Amino acid sequence: MQIFFSSPWIPAEWIRAHGLEARALGFAPDLDLAAARPGAGVCAYAEAVVGWLERHAESAAVFASTCDQMRRAFDIATRRAPSRSFLFNVPATWQTPTAGQMFRAELERLGRFLEALGGRAPQAEDLVRRLADSNGKRRRLLAGAPRCRAHAYAAAVARFHWDGSEAVIEPSGPLPAEAVPLALVGGPLPMAHWGLIEALERAGGRVALNATETGERSLLPQFRLDQARTDPVAALVHGYLGHSVDVFQRPNTRLYAWLGQQVAAWRIRGLVLWHFVGCDLWRAEAQSLREAFRLPVLVLEAGEGAGDSPRSLGRLEAFLELLKSAASNPAVAATADKPEAHPATEASEEPR
Amino acid sequence: MSESLGDAPRKLGLDAWDQRYAALRQAGLSEPEYGGPLGRHVFERGDLRLRHLEFDNSAAALRLWNFLLTENERLRQARTRGEKIVGTMKDLGTVPVMAYALPRVRAFYPDGAWWTPCLMECSDGLLQQADLQGIDGSFCPVRALLPAFETEAHFPQPDWLVCSTGAVCDDFTAIAQRLERLGHPICWWEMPRRRSPDPGEPACTLPGGGLAPAVQVQWVRDELERVRAGLSGLVGQPLTDEQLRDGIREANRVRRLLGALREAAHGAPSAPLPALELLVAEMLTLHFCSDRDETVAVLAELLVEVQTRCAQGHAVLAANAVRVYWVNPVADLRVLNRLEEWGGRVCGSDYMFTHALDLIPETLPPLEALARTALADPMVGPTADRAERIVAECRAWGAEALVVARIPGASHCAREGAIIREEVRAKVGLPTIDLEIPPVCDAMLPTLDSRLQALLEAARARRST
Repeated sequence: MQIFFSSPWIPAEWIRAHGLEARALGFAPDLDLAAARPGAGVCAYAEAVVGWLERHAESAAVFASTCDQMRRAFDIATRRAPSRSFLFNVPATWQTPTAGQMFRAELERLGRFLEALGGRAPQAEDLVRRLADSNGKRRRLLAGAPRCRAHAYAAAVARFHWDGSEAVIEPSGPLPAEAVPLALVGGPLPMAHWGLIEALERAGGRVALNATETGERSLLPQFRLDQARTDPVAALVHGYLGHSVDVFQRPNTRLYAWLGQQVAAWRIRGLVLWHFVGCDLWRAEAQSLREAFRLPVLVLEAGEGAGDSPRSLGRLEAFLELLKSAASNPAVAATADKPEAHPATEASEEPR
Repeated sequence: MSESLGDAPRKLGLDAWDQRYAALRQAGLSEPEYGGPLGRHVFERGDLRLRHLEFDNSAAALRLWNFLLTENERLRQARTRGEKIVGTMKDLGTVPVMAYALPRVRAFYPDGAWWTPCLMECSDGLLQQADLQGIDGSFCPVRALLPAFETEAHFPQPDWLVCSTGAVCDDFTAIAQRLERLGHPICWWEMPRRRSPDPGEPACTLPGGGLAPAVQVQWVRDELERVRAGLSGLVGQPLTDEQLRDGIREANRVRRLLGALREAAHGAPSAPLPALELLVAEMLTLHFCSDRDETVAVLAELLVEVQTRCAQGHAVLAANAVRVYWVNPVADLRVLNRLEEWGGRVCGSDYMFTHALDLIPETLPPLEALARTALADPMVGPTADRAERIVAECRAWGAEALVVARIPGASHCAREGAIIREEVRAKVGLPTIDLEIPPVCDAMLPTLDSRLQALLEAARARRST
């Protein structure tokens, strides 16, 4: 059975250790955002997830409790498909023993849900092997980011979250040297919206950092294998809770710390904040992002299309024109060199 | 007092109330320190909205409004006396019970600033300032709290800020996060998303009758231990179980009074008290309007007024008013007046904090009791749970229609209103509407009026069938 999960903070390794296929919902080819037709104030992504689950009676979905929209979407889903819907309570805090207990208890509860769907109880050795495998793939994917253009990289990340496999990252053709390095920041960027990446490139930018929920940020969990050998579930908890970086966390200082490293490493010159309608969590960060990084921030709201609507394109072009004109100032242009090595590639072989 | 002056219960505008105030004073009305004519709040504080509201004409209602509208001044006086002030956010009803268990501590909800733009008819500029702070009009009006912290023109700066997070409203937690980035440190405590216990899983009964897994209660209890440590650190002395037990008993005193008031008002064949006063009375349970003892006195007087009216068969609204169940607080208080103007009355309500109305268990260890109370929050669990309670109360109070008030920009409203309306239609068969109400709704009044009228007409039509 295929188990679809709505957030990268739901451990796919755990689902696979139950002998089930784990698939990231954001990369489902038939996640139909255009058909979602959400009501006023409803997130199209959350709506599309509910619609997708209705159309796939053979599959189950694991929702994350990380935002109001997804919690309420689960409320709808559980009315229509109660036996195939699961809400994973991802704590917003991470600093306390309680947060760790919650995460672990949710893993155990998810395990019972998976077993009820036909999954098998996970074997410790198998889980350790999966964690080691995941560690390697995540690291190599992160290390491959500098060699790869954004669309191809998004595809590689998608493939990892889709079936756990690792795409070979081929060096992509370079963009014009004058392309402005941008960070794409925000919630999920499903495949249907990858047109945004090309739109940014056509407008004269390049996505040097995909910090959306489905980009590099989603690869950050790392597992302590020494811990995994004695308590693989604890390693799983620590791997996710200790390394996830997202806007819903309170305080969300980890997001800013991580973004700060990336912005510096990639010499980012502008942020594109991408969010769905009704996503208060991301929208509320626009001003804080401007203040924290002293960079221009373009807020783009996801529509039903591919992120390349005429209005979005017009705004993107204007944004990049502004950034380019700023670059003509030598003081600013001096910072627009080739990015340094990706910080993630400097991670030690054995994570913290 | 109103009966002694021979006045039947009715609603009065502000000018009429001030005339009545003079008459009441002449007749010997004695008031607490914060008393005075209602009209002064317009001139002294800029609460312009009061000019467009209608109020119950009882002395008890006068005291209620004066108590509400003087909270910021009373907080400042407490600060001057050297008392500690805790800003507690989002949990609506739990942390204040802990804070008031300590001597010389007052807790209030900065969240309450969401009514300031309404009361001041946006003349305060809070919403415009919030725009400049990066939280624009697409967010819930609670964004008004951001500039309120900066200007200190409303409430005093709290000595300590604490906010629940996790499965709470995104709009609020997002704004609170912005507040922290603006330099106001917050102690965050985790509220898990409440779920039904799995088969065979140890469970706890919550105030209000729901169930939650025992493990979730334990987590919240652990989180409240952190809050307790924070409060203890603030005052430099431990917050003991004994103090908490006393605090719970006092909170329950307030909740019992409110329960009796709701019972009397909602159960009466004709409304003995208008909806606005009932809403304000409910709000007092959240943080006791910064004075727990006075809250008891205010509610007790209001209850006596209502019981007297009921015993005498007096009402403030027409006997045939349509009984309406109201969901969510109104960003503009005027809308509740309008409902009554068109022939409705509120006969039941879920203003998003029903857990602050239920009695806190007194026989459990105090933090366990408070954890159960916090978990009973209708906003942290499935909307179906909230709808179930609403359905039960619609039945109990004989509701004939239901209004879901949408809070502009509140991320939870987009979905939950539809689910609640669907449940109420399916299980009780009531006509329902969904109204989005901005902080000052004057420009939308024609639309709001016609929608309310349509609802009430539909409810009346059902009577004849």
